[in-house]
Amino acid sequence: MKRPLNVMMLSWEYPPRVIGGISPHVFFLSKSLAKNGVKVHVVTCDFPDAPAHEVIDGVEVYRIDSYKNPSPDFATWVYLMNLNMQKEAAAIAAKLPDEIDVFHAHDWLVATAGIGLKHVFRKPLLVTMHSTEIGRRDGLHTTTEKMINETEAWLTYEAWRVVCCSDYMMQHVKWAFGLPNDKLVMVPNGVNPHVYDGLEKQDLTAFRRTFALPEEKIILYVGRLVYEKGIHILINAVPKVLEKVNAKFVIVGSGYMKEQLSNIVKSMGLEHKVLFTGFVEEENLPKLQKCADVSVVPSLFEPFGIVALEAMAAKSPIVVSDTGGLSEIVDHDQSGIKAYPNNADSLAWGITKILLDENFRNRVRENAYKKILEKYDWNKIAQQTRHVYEGILGEYSKSFWA
Amino acid sequence: MRAIIFSWEYPPRIIGNLAEYVSALAAHLVKNSVETHVVTYHDSLTGATQEANGVKTVRVANPVQTHISLLTWALTLNQEVERAAVNIHYQAGKYVDLIDVYDWHFIPAAVTLKHALGIPFVYSVDSLEDHRSPGTNLPFNMAIRGIEWLGFYEAKKVTAKSEWMQNEIIRLYKVPKEKIKIITPNTNNWVKNVLEAYKTAATGGSACK
Repeated sequence: MKRPLNVMMLSWEYPPRVIGGISPHVFFLSKSLAKNGVKVHVVTCDFPDAPAHEVIDGVEVYRIDSYKNPSPDFATWVYLMNLNMQKEAAAIAAKLPDEIDVFHAHDWLVATAGIGLKHVFRKPLLVTMHSTEIGRRDGLHTTTEKMINETEAWLTYEAWRVVCCSDYMMQHVKWAFGLPNDKLVMVPNGVNPHVYDGLEKQDLTAFRRTFALPEEKIILYVGRLVYEKGIHILINAVPKVLEKVNAKFVIVGSGYMKEQLSNIVKSMGLEHKVLFTGFVEEENLPKLQKCADVSVVPSLFEPFGIVALEAMAAKSPIVVSDTGGLSEIVDHDQSGIKAYPNNADSLAWGITKILLDENFRNRVRENAYKKILEKYDWNKIAQQTRHVYEGILGEYSKSFWA
Repeated sequence: MRAIIFSWEYPPRIIGNLAEYVSALAAHLVKNSVETHVVTYHDSLTGATQEANGVKTVRVANPVQTHISLLTWALTLNQEVERAAVNIHYQAGKYVDLIDVYDWHFIPAAVTLKHALGIPFVYSVDSLEDHRSPGTNLPFNMAIRGIEWLGFYEAKKVTAKSEWMQNEIIRLYKVPKEKIKIITPNTNNWVKNVLEAYKTAATGGSACK
């Protein structure tokens, strides 16, 4: 191909709009693809004060009207937002000097827009499944959950290839939607270790003191306060850890379990040992991760586990539950500790071991950082993704759509 | 002239008056040398057929069977309506003169087709959300009104079945009067008026790609 590959990426979040892991994923992936000679047009939801169109590190970013009228519920909003996204993305793509070669959709949140654009322009659709409804909810219990599950199934059906970020997710998605093996491709998620570079020499003592007393170890949790993330297991481990170590549990994030969790903490009389910070400012989170004596990812369902990678990049030792993508990221006793999932005793044991054994802590931290540089580098991930695009286009060129 | 009609009801699926109306109109259009395609919804009779009267139909089903409301049902079904129309467009050498959309249900598909492929559309109003659900201001109704608004805004031409409806469209959506053509069904000038509306829409816009 003489001109560069032209890709349109659809994502419901992109910085400064950050809700979950898709936003940083699309940010770093698109930017690293641009460095690797791929022209990327990101179409995403608008955000207060963010421009409707800008170029960030060679990536064209378009922010569409995300439907801001009141919506009956979240799922309906998703479809209404997709109506706008599809309309605007169609207009953008039609006006570009070069045709879009591949539409790349991230999750069901942009399902109908991705499916529509594929058909109107007759170009292949690549889908990255970051998660699934059946996994998030541990089953399908409501009409909404079934509807989302069926939308996900439809999206993977319409996709030329489905990208998953871990071997675990490959198996899960294959099982959830009955997909053939050759439709699935594994490309890991990445992390940007340079976020933490500048903090290496910075004195964070005063910053640390706003979260914990100097004599308290910081045990950090970053994530939504929802069932699938297993935060309630960490809360149950609090008294078990405090028996052995003087520590402060810093819980970053928000979610529907927040009130329930803080009630449990109150009933244990440990409010002074557990700090719910809610969301933390973007520039403060890396500092906090840097200050953490141990980072804990106690998930029950975890397609990938980006928080674990971030902690590893920040050189904060980690304890994760041995499940999903986390199992693949961490080598037990080498680059972290894997605790039994849904087991507060095991989790407390892992946390205590890291906090009490300094040699072990330092070894784990160095090994983890090495692994980050070797396996989860965005440049390598972009090259793998480019390879997937080229594979798809090779097949497409022989189809009757070409 | 090649026209595609979008209607959420069409025989044998009859909900209100729209099915019979669209069916009669499509037959008349064929007699007036319009290559007429109808894209509609049916849960089981899916696929393309050619009727004895020359009308070509495509019936699509919703890939998502479980829904929380009419809104989520319509919004997902739109993708299949859009796909059926796209297939007609590509099979016909990338040329469709216009799409005639009945009510709000399939406005989203028509809007994407307009922006992606340059196919203009006529928005034919049978009823409005304000009259179907008077006095309701729930997010559900507002969303449907939003889709109706989008239809009026993006349409090349709007048709109304009576002067009263024309006035209601102007009152509720501030649509310029010149944009709305009154087409009274089953009168002598009925089909002639429809054809006129189609011609304004088809030739008024830039040609299809």
